[in-house]
Amino acid sequence: MQPLRIALAQLAPRLGVLDDNLARHREVLAAARSGGAGLVVFPELGLTGYQLQDLAAEVAMRADDPRLASLAADAAGMSAIVSFVEEAADHRLFISAALLEDGEVRFVHRKLFLPTYGLFDERRFFAAGDRLRATDSRLGVKLGIAVCEDFWHLAVPETLALDGAQILINVSSSPGRDLAAIHEVGLGTAASWRTLMRTYAQLTTSFVVFCNRVGMDETISFWGGSEVIAPSGEAVFTAPLFDEGLHFVDIELGDVRRERIGLPLLRDERPELHLRELRRILAERTEMATDEASEAPDRAKAER
Amino acid sequence: MTAGGEAEAGRLIVGAGAGAGPLFELPPELAIDTDVATRVMVGFIRNQLRQAGFSRGLLGLSGGIDSALVAFLVAQAIGPESMLCVLMPYRTSSPESVEHARLVVDQLGCASDLVDISQIVDGYFGRDGELAAGGAAARDAAPLRRGNFMARARMCVLYDRSVLWGGLVAGTGNKTESLIGYSTLFGDSACAFNPIGDLYKSQVRQVAAAIGVPEQIIRKAPSADLWPGQTDEAEAGFSYPELDRLLFWMIDKRRTDEELEAMGFPMAAVGRVKRLVAVSEFKRQVPPVAKLGPRTTGVDYLYPRRRPGSAR
Repeated sequence: MQPLRIALAQLAPRLGVLDDNLARHREVLAAARSGGAGLVVFPELGLTGYQLQDLAAEVAMRADDPRLASLAADAAGMSAIVSFVEEAADHRLFISAALLEDGEVRFVHRKLFLPTYGLFDERRFFAAGDRLRATDSRLGVKLGIAVCEDFWHLAVPETLALDGAQILINVSSSPGRDLAAIHEVGLGTAASWRTLMRTYAQLTTSFVVFCNRVGMDETISFWGGSEVIAPSGEAVFTAPLFDEGLHFVDIELGDVRRERIGLPLLRDERPELHLRELRRILAERTEMATDEASEAPDRAKAER
Repeated sequence: MTAGGEAEAGRLIVGAGAGAGPLFELPPELAIDTDVATRVMVGFIRNQLRQAGFSRGLLGLSGGIDSALVAFLVAQAIGPESMLCVLMPYRTSSPESVEHARLVVDQLGCASDLVDISQIVDGYFGRDGELAAGGAAARDAAPLRRGNFMARARMCVLYDRSVLWGGLVAGTGNKTESLIGYSTLFGDSACAFNPIGDLYKSQVRQVAAAIGVPEQIIRKAPSADLWPGQTDEAEAGFSYPELDRLLFWMIDKRRTDEELEAMGFPMAAVGRVKRLVAVSEFKRQVPPVAKLGPRTTGVDYLYPRRRPGSAR
């Protein structure tokens, strides 16, 4: 199998300056093309910047916005993931990541988990997505696209892998914080993320591609450190912290097959067990446990 | 961590070299990666200036460690040629303060400006018991009032010079003094941005040592130098390492009073510091505006401080 060349666009978007960011995306797409990339990944809200607050509505685009279509045309022949503020037909605003292929917006993932704690205030300004699906791609494998905080919830990588994704892609605007000498690379955030990505790659036996922005919005600095992790859980590539850059990483998609044959964790997943227990947990949480009897007729009979 | 250190009885003593004695005491839990911290602060300064449409910066250089560190950071961010350090002594200020400020200016090779604020301050309070603009109410003012006035006079000078220099004022207050309210509202706390406001004093010392701030500035007892012989630690009744540790566990690590006591912090100190923090909350926030209209700044009109069109 031909190796897949991934281009990680570790950019520093300009806050609220959509036109500049669009132009920068076009430049990077051109550079990625001449570098032979098959997949180009841009960071979360790379087209708008992160700390938008009330600016979010002013930079929002519909998924069928001609500017996105034009970007898709620039990405022709490659798969590109770009992220922007999406305005739905009903005027809800989402943090979205779009897969651009063959000159069109092929798939849109809306961020599912909106952190609203600590330094985050996303739920105030955005609506949460409610669909989690792996998507087909021209790369011949399914992609599992997630945005930043989505990866701080176990069900997300698991569901994407069960849905057939072989490359899990997380686009982020992760603010660097928790500075301490005890942490790997001096940054608590980076240490946590690295643990997560290696764990997900290993447990889902998939590639994990992480593209995190750099630069600053207002008071917060984004730490970069974009990575590609192999299905074995080993890092194939780690970008420098804080520096802007376009990084090319070659991966062998055959590694997914080799890993999954040798370590058939995904084959042995028990989604039906998980679903059954989740139903029970949900029922108990909402104090509707009696309804659960109908879901488990055998046990109900045995207890009679 | 760039500075060499050795653990001793649970504390890190950071030394400058043999025979010199410890440079400062660093509680181990406060140790940071000074390279990463510098990187973030330098990037922050550049970004703040760029977003506002400025390429130059200035600051009040007191001769103390906080403003010395900010001077080094600003110089690293935009080059010493784009930075102005303003020295603003009062006639009773320690001569050592100006000497130390000059050390920094000479080492960095940046522009500097000396404005003696004595006439401004004396013009209000009077000198040697004489009546001046402030009348008898000012003539009889206690040192604290005079100290606050001096801090605000320096702010006025600095903001005036910022127009002349065409730059933004960099803040020099650290996290410790901000949390306990050891600052003058609209005085030394006034600035366009503050790169070191999230560093405890112990961390300021750590980064200062790593970035090359002259040793005598790191070594000397911190002082607001608002009256002769004043030191922060005598005034606060805590040493900085003790205070920093307590604030770190109390605020950053959310420990309860009971947990702090179990960690060995005296309850009296915990209570006192908690009061200092609560009482000074107003100094850390923008003054509140009564909510009347549909959209009110800071409440439900929330924009980034700098956005498209906001650069000068």
